[in-house]
Amino acid sequence: MQKYLLRRLIVSLPALFGVSVIVFVVMRVLPGDPLVAMFGAEGFTRLGESDRARIMADLGLSDPLPVQYLRWMKDIATGGLGKSFFRGDKVSELILHRGPLSAEIGVLSVIISWIVGLPVGIVSASRPNSFADNVARSLSVLFLAIPGFWLGMLIVLASLFWFHYKSPLLVVYLWEDPWTNLQLVIGPAVVLGLGQGAYIARMTRSCLLEVIREDYVRTAQAKGLAEGLVVIRHALPNALLPVITVSGILMGFVLGGSVAVEQAFGVPGLGAALVTAVVERDIIVVQNLVLLYGVIFMVINILVDLSYAWLDPRLRFQ
Amino acid sequence: MGSDSDPGHSPSTLREIGVFARRNPVSAAGGVVGLLIILVAIAAPLIAPNDPLKADFKRLRTPPGSQNYFGTDQIGRDTLSRVIYGARSSIFVAFSAVLLGTTLGSLWGLASGYLGGRFDLFGQRLMEILQSFPDLILAMAISMAIGTGMQAVIVAIAITRIPFGGRVIRSVVLTVKELPYVEASRSTGASHLRIMALHVSPQCLAPYLVLATTHLGVAIVIEAALGFLGVGIPPPTPTWGNMLADSLTSLVPHWWLVFFPGLAITVTVLAFNLVGDGIRDTLDPRVYAGVLRSMTAPRRGGRSTPVGPAPLQIPSAS
Repeated sequence: MQKYLLRRLIVSLPALFGVSVIVFVVMRVLPGDPLVAMFGAEGFTRLGESDRARIMADLGLSDPLPVQYLRWMKDIATGGLGKSFFRGDKVSELILHRGPLSAEIGVLSVIISWIVGLPVGIVSASRPNSFADNVARSLSVLFLAIPGFWLGMLIVLASLFWFHYKSPLLVVYLWEDPWTNLQLVIGPAVVLGLGQGAYIARMTRSCLLEVIREDYVRTAQAKGLAEGLVVIRHALPNALLPVITVSGILMGFVLGGSVAVEQAFGVPGLGAALVTAVVERDIIVVQNLVLLYGVIFMVINILVDLSYAWLDPRLRFQ
Repeated sequence: MGSDSDPGHSPSTLREIGVFARRNPVSAAGGVVGLLIILVAIAAPLIAPNDPLKADFKRLRTPPGSQNYFGTDQIGRDTLSRVIYGARSSIFVAFSAVLLGTTLGSLWGLASGYLGGRFDLFGQRLMEILQSFPDLILAMAISMAIGTGMQAVIVAIAITRIPFGGRVIRSVVLTVKELPYVEASRSTGASHLRIMALHVSPQCLAPYLVLATTHLGVAIVIEAALGFLGVGIPPPTPTWGNMLADSLTSLVPHWWLVFFPGLAITVTVLAFNLVGDGIRDTLDPRVYAGVLRSMTAPRRGGRSTPVGPAPLQIPSAS
């Protein structure tokens, strides 16, 4: 197991390097001058040639690219991650400030997706093509098509119209004020959770149907076990492995989707910070946040693989 | 699924579509709706009751009524006309991006799988790196880097589609290139290019079609999300995404400005997803089994070389 983990980590190092290089290169091919973004087109023309050079040097953008890349790596190693063009805030502080909210939304949405998706999938699979199965499948097809951010906007609108309720716009942590914090994160978590839940339900259904056809399940049925027990105790554990993988793949959906969904709910999480930075063309912030999203996604993939090895003994002893 | 004995070409195609529709009535319904939406997009100037860009300051934010069926927005533009014109941008961007991304990815997969060796290894790593980013985040960063505008959005979405095409086609090519008929043509001295173009690529056509249709819905959602986040096609061009973004500018959003553009996205995505599901089930019955197999084979040491075709239906960003 430890060997597996070690090998997995070693192999992801080059990928991590590649990811950081790609982020860096993409951020440096920007056609617009970052100064235009900072001062506006008018302000830019008013700056003298020497001012422009000085500001670019101050920002560290006039050095050769390899030097800039190495400096970025040094910033990451020291934990500061560089500073925002506009506010002079350290990016690491921004992440520490906004990150917990987004992390909470992500974790909560995964929990919700399992709570919703798993039972629906089980019910679907135990009576295929029944009325309940058809309803569940139609709903999951529908939820796969509804864009999360739109659903979020509708929820915000509905709660405003019918309950005159608007969620707070502050950054409130779980450990400070759990009740306000819950109001902040529950909306995005439910929206993202339902989206993932649709995939989980679909996957659970198709995997269970596959497993239920196997001989050992027939044996369990033949010895007179209650149908529910056969499904839950015998079939489900084997059907769950692919579902776990799907749940891991869906984390990409959560990470990307949370950006738009946070925007829809007006939640000041990491996604909202990324959107602001992209709109302001704040290169340093964007490159760090995009890298962060990439790294989180990679870590989740490793965790999924590990959970696999942990759940499937055949892999552990290979 | 060919009716080879039929001499006439178009009647047999029609009959095949008829058979498809009878077997997959839901997909066929999706196809009809999808075609209608494409028609609306093409004929937008004929159908739209008003000019989508013309502001009418006497009719600001009027709710849906007999004069404006979907109401008007902040500066009095007709929402119905904007939704109809929005179909143009969405459909055009989604089709171009999927065509571009899937084609590039497939060509890459073809070369990578056929040639193997160092080229394949390098290509695989690069695809893994591209897939280390959540779709929406990658698309945001790229579209920010190469500037907003329709081409930028198309390129950004296309790049996120490349790895999917690459991996699926590569795995198909890996099996096809070992088949006896390919070996036979090699023994007659055919060049690699000739074998790839004439003997291997026809086998990739079905998975290519499946890929292209299943990714259309995802592309539409990403396009809308980019517009919603302010990095899509810039205003005043109406797109469903930037209409939703516009609706957030007023303190109390008006329901018709939120509801109709989002409904258009949902219906379109639903229609294309249904068609995609039907085409996948018809052309590639192995896919479900293949998805399971490739998932139950975890990434050993991080290198995922799926046995069967890689999962086709992928979670979208929203």
